[in-house]
Amino acid sequence: MPANSLSFRLCADVRYRQIADEGIVLRQQAGEVLVLNEVGTRVVALLDEGLAPPGIVARLAAEFDADPGRLAIDVAGFVAELRAAGVIEEEACS
Amino acid sequence: MSYQALLTKAVNGNIPFSVLLELTYRCNLDCYYCYNDRTNGGRSLSVAQYVSLFADLRELATMNLTFSGGEPLAHPHFFTLGARARALGFVIRVKSNGHRLNGRLARRLLNEVDPFVVEISLHGASAATHERQTQVAGSFGRLLTNLEQMQALGLRVQLNSTLTAWNETEMEAMSALAERIALPLRWNVQITPRDNGDRAPLDIAASPQAISRLRGLLEQRRGTETTIDLDPPPPWGKYCGAGASGLTVDPWGNVYPCVQWRVPAGNLHRENVRDIWERSPVLQSVRVRTEALAATVKARTAEATKEWFCPALVETGGGEERLL
Repeated sequence: MPANSLSFRLCADVRYRQIADEGIVLRQQAGEVLVLNEVGTRVVALLDEGLAPPGIVARLAAEFDADPGRLAIDVAGFVAELRAAGVIEEEACS
Repeated sequence: MSYQALLTKAVNGNIPFSVLLELTYRCNLDCYYCYNDRTNGGRSLSVAQYVSLFADLRELATMNLTFSGGEPLAHPHFFTLGARARALGFVIRVKSNGHRLNGRLARRLLNEVDPFVVEISLHGASAATHERQTQVAGSFGRLLTNLEQMQALGLRVQLNSTLTAWNETEMEAMSALAERIALPLRWNVQITPRDNGDRAPLDIAASPQAISRLRGLLEQRRGTETTIDLDPPPPWGKYCGAGASGLTVDPWGNVYPCVQWRVPAGNLHRENVRDIWERSPVLQSVRVRTEALAATVKARTAEATKEWFCPALVETGGGEERLL
């Protein structure tokens, strides 16, 4: 299955908040903190809402008036980073 | 941007990043220096009011929610509130005496609340010293057993100790105990008057010599997880986060700038936390005060600014403005 069509969810130990125009993500078990920029924080929030990457791209394109093609590449890369960092995990198919 | 820079943004931008909830003043121990005014009363916040408060705080970007007391686990709806806070994505800290946190309750805490850390008070390295403070026989042995069980479950635990005249001869043994059971130990040297103004707890404040000795001990243990609350203030636009990056709420819904600054900024029975946060004259005056203090301290010598002090204790007359 192509990564772009997967759905993700936040790992159970992850907490995040947006502080002004930046975001903070805590991985509780590891005690690790990540600080994200505004768009990164928005991606995490949209993942938390249950959107898959294509839906996130569509939302960001509307919110930030950005090129969807460029966004799709950036979102895919960022999602891969979040996955590698243990912030998100693939949602099990029902 | 770093985490510290983000905290600075919260303080300077008045974002209530960390909120402390005193859920109840009930407690199963009876610590001599406890600052709670247990004769104080009022109408407790209901579960529905807490749920509403949590939702408001989430919108205000609060990330850290600390459940304190009294003993927070003595609140009849502690687990309901904890689970709700968890569902709303707060980083939960629980300040407890650990007396009830045996294996069964600790497991429930982990499964239902999933706190980031449980902060447990340690008053001595021996039963005699610890229990002189708690005034409950057997509380020391029970605490050690419960700590072991919490660790076995994988709960993140931190020990908090206040240096007093009663335990200052055991500071080395307390640090050694913490290291032996592989728990971080955070020292505090500030004993405060009770919230009703009673200054009796100050009678057991640690001696200046003991505080100096503790500094030496921590220097020797640099690199271990034994630390002290005497760091110099960070380079914020305010001296501290009172009423700027944090709030305290007592069991009756009174909102304070911080746990020490016991001047009510509002009450949650009458108004919501957003209105208090944005409009309270008390909070606005505290922010002005801490901004002025930051500027004053910045203008002083490095020697005068190397040690932190609590402006709330100065402001409310319980402390000494020794550095200014």
